[in-house]
Amino acid sequence: MTGPSGVGIGWRPEIAGFVAELPGLRFVEVVAEGVPSSGPLPHGLAQLRERAVTVVPHGVRLSLGGAEPVDPARVAHLASVAQRLDAPLVSEHIAFVRAGGLEAGHLLPLPRSREAVDAVCANVARAQAELPVPIALEPIAALVDWPDDELDEADFLTEILDRTGALLLLDVANVHANARNRGADPLALLDRLPLERVAYAHVAGGAEHGGYYHDTHTDPVPAAVLELVGALCARQRPPALLLERDGHYPPAAELRAELDALAAAAGYPAVT
Amino acid sequence: MTGAPDGETPPRAGLAERQAALVAALVAGGEPPAGFAPGPLAATRAALLRKRAGEVARHWPLLAASLGAGWSTTFANWAARRPTVGSLRDGWDLARAMHDQHTLPPAAAEELAVREARLRYDGLRAPRPRRVPAVGRAGGAVAVQIAGRVRLLRPAPRPSTAPSFHGEGAPDTAGSASWISD
Repeated sequence: MTGPSGVGIGWRPEIAGFVAELPGLRFVEVVAEGVPSSGPLPHGLAQLRERAVTVVPHGVRLSLGGAEPVDPARVAHLASVAQRLDAPLVSEHIAFVRAGGLEAGHLLPLPRSREAVDAVCANVARAQAELPVPIALEPIAALVDWPDDELDEADFLTEILDRTGALLLLDVANVHANARNRGADPLALLDRLPLERVAYAHVAGGAEHGGYYHDTHTDPVPAAVLELVGALCARQRPPALLLERDGHYPPAAELRAELDALAAAAGYPAVT
Repeated sequence: MTGAPDGETPPRAGLAERQAALVAALVAGGEPPAGFAPGPLAATRAALLRKRAGEVARHWPLLAASLGAGWSTTFANWAARRPTVGSLRDGWDLARAMHDQHTLPPAAAEELAVREARLRYDGLRAPRPRRVPAVGRAGGAVAVQIAGRVRLLRPAPRPSTAPSFHGEGAPDTAGSASWISD
């Protein structure tokens, strides 16, 4: 198991054929909930493991930021997927996805309060106790802000990372989206985050819709996000950067061009 | 500022309650929680519905395709106050509701008939494969399942494109495959 390195792509069944044919690929991420904990692995993933490509399970439904304790069965599943894939680490979000018996169907933001920091740290500790490998935590993109934030984003994230010892999965598109929608400076946030803790970075596309920038993962990566990749790498280049695409898959040539542009922005070799 | 006893922070709902209120406001038509700006809340609600519509369309491609440009709105109107029970069941519930209202397009009726033949779904719990031969019907479409294989026996009637004398022209079967893989 080698850590994530260079330029990677989110493995999805719809683009398994495309991913399988990327000659320089050393690293992919897979949605953990989509990988069975027993029985055969999805075909394309098994092939990538045979090529010694690093596969990082990325959880989306643990709800680490939920006020209630994280579901042990979900943690156990993530742990078993990490083991099956011989993953060097797993990743999840600083977010909650359900509350009061209702599924939100998406990642929702926490209030940046001491109470929420305590809740997420307790859940990360519960997960860490069962996981065979380190966890990297990803700050999300959100349109809503809670009315009573006590901490700013950098202090909130740094405190969670310090208290849990977790790694950081920095999503550059989320930094762009939040700054754009809040009228803040994305570089100011980069300057205050512990960039030496970044295990890898996410990069994705989005679109303007109704006056907001939406981190859709179904649109091309905008130039502003690639510029932010360059600014991040100028400060501290992450060991790996991963392109996330979750629908409206473009023709292979376009996806290849996006991977090449990401490699160029980060100064890593092309994987195509 | 407020004179809370012993200098403690004034009582307020705990994180669990406040998270529940936010989710309810976003997916179940709950009251917007106090203090949240309405614009971002509405934008989040709309984004969640678009995302759900996309996920349901992957499970119900003919339902989504047969509604064309109207899919997102149809789904959003139906789903705005209904929290998701998973994309398969969301689409199933919507297809049945449209069927009951006689608004289910023919291709979507065929998709529904095939599903009804393949799986047993009581509207409450996860659908389960049928063990015995079964017939699924929706909007005039008839599908039959034997030993796990499903065949569309009869396509749903298409309204004739050109009005004919008798109102109901010969069924236009163009484009309706007799087999729909599920």
